[in-house]
Amino acid sequence: MILVPAVFLGLLAGWFRSRLSSKVWRVPELKYAWLVLVFIIPQWLVFALPISRDLFSKPLAASCLVLSQVGLLLFSLLNRHLTGMWIFSAGLILNLLVIISNGGFMPVSTLTLSHLIPATTLASLTVGERISLNSKDILLAPNAIKFSWLADQFISPSWFPWRFIYSIGDVLIALGVFLLLTFDQNLQDNKQERKSLHVNTPII
Amino acid sequence: MKKITALLALFLVKIQDHHIQIFMVSLTLVLLILGAGAPMDVGGIGNISIFGK
Repeated sequence: MILVPAVFLGLLAGWFRSRLSSKVWRVPELKYAWLVLVFIIPQWLVFALPISRDLFSKPLAASCLVLSQVGLLLFSLLNRHLTGMWIFSAGLILNLLVIISNGGFMPVSTLTLSHLIPATTLASLTVGERISLNSKDILLAPNAIKFSWLADQFISPSWFPWRFIYSIGDVLIALGVFLLLTFDQNLQDNKQERKSLHVNTPII
Repeated sequence: MKKITALLALFLVKIQDHHIQIFMVSLTLVLLILGAGAPMDVGGIGNISIFGK
């Protein structure tokens, strides 16, 4: 849920930008949105739904994650004409690269995790296994991670209410969505738009 | 109760196509960002959270 605020901040920034320029703000027109719904289902089954996530073996869960992310990448590339989508796609490709290179899950090193959780909790986790059944992360020794610079390695600042570990790809993904909602060519002339839509109030 | 009903009715009347469009695009992007990203919520280790985040 950590990345979700990027959507709301983008909506807020887009609306605020339209107010500043006295233009009507419209949401970007996403093509093939059904692809998102279709390709999110494997992740939902593997990581979220308690009934089904216990049924997936480790290799099958990894395959589902990769399949899901490839599908989402396809969606982002089909919408590459929109502002921010190239940055989003780059983030997704980086995440996908490190996930595929490390057995189908996002690697996090024992060293990184040791900065955030008690030693007793860390000791209870198994190196080479997923952090939990609902996690995309796999715990690995620092020297065992391929493309370690792309792995979950950055730690949220201590003053931030949520403690989490994120990757370069995650940053680009959040940035891409924020830019999409804020700077896509979605501002239209207010008077012209109102005449065409026959409405008296600005959109949103 | 009447006031709540009246407010709800007013709210429903005010909903326009573009509001639904904004909701649908927001929902799509939330699902997209949940599926594409992989940050690990440290507080969620061992707990249930959406898509492991």
